[in-house]
Amino acid sequence: MSISTDSITVSMARLALDAASMRHQAIANNIANANTAGYAPVRVDFESQMDAVRAALQQGGTVTPSMLQGVAPVLRRDVPPAAAGQGAALDMEIASLAQNTVQYQALLKALSKHMSILSAAVAEGKR
Amino acid sequence: MDYRNAFAISATGMNVEKMRLDTTAANLANVHSTRGADGKLYQPLSVKVVEAGASFATGFEQQVQGAGRLRGARVAAVEPTSVAPHKMYEPGNPDADEKGYVTLPGINQVTEMVNLSTALRAYEANVVAMNAAKSMALKALELGGGQ
Repeated sequence: MSISTDSITVSMARLALDAASMRHQAIANNIANANTAGYAPVRVDFESQMDAVRAALQQGGTVTPSMLQGVAPVLRRDVPPAAAGQGAALDMEIASLAQNTVQYQALLKALSKHMSILSAAVAEGKR
Repeated sequence: MDYRNAFAISATGMNVEKMRLDTTAANLANVHSTRGADGKLYQPLSVKVVEAGASFATGFEQQVQGAGRLRGARVAAVEPTSVAPHKMYEPGNPDADEKGYVTLPGINQVTEMVNLSTALRAYEANVVAMNAAKSMALKALELGGGQ
């Protein structure tokens, strides 16, 4: 988790990719326990920790590495267990699975664009 | 984050659903069994599923992995249920009692069919989750390749 040498974009993309990857595992766990009686679904808490970053961006400021200090995706249990009585709702889990997969791929795309900017700079703008 | 764990979680889910499917098939196959292998009447089976491994590890594991590790679901037990058997009039059957009634296991075919289709759908959902994990991992492998 060394943030000092990386650019802030790479640091944030890495954190968000970690969160998406963990969220995928949480969703997979919820789906695997679709028929487990008394199961409390697992969720990932990440976006709420980025409040400082969001506030800075909205005021036209810049994001500093200190804002990302201590930010990490965390697993949480839904308590009490889902009101429906048993397990997690399969349809909602599949929907968030699809959303999460697209978000993960979008993050990878952003990261790879960032790298292509860097490589353009390294090549002095030549192709 | 370890993407192999995502495959392992989905695999445990598929395993559980396959066990439910097997149990339902065994129940349906024994709808008309008047005697089991041990000479007693067949008891309908049900699968008890629990979440695998209390995952919210504390202390050392938490420090190493940075978070709890999820392990999916597992079959805790396949238990016989205590559904009352029913009787059918069939005097020609060798297992019939003196009044001509045969005792059959109390298997509800509608319940079994519902179990069958929920197990099937849940299995498919696990496959979808696994394919999503695969496409995510493959996409990540493309990172840094031809841009």
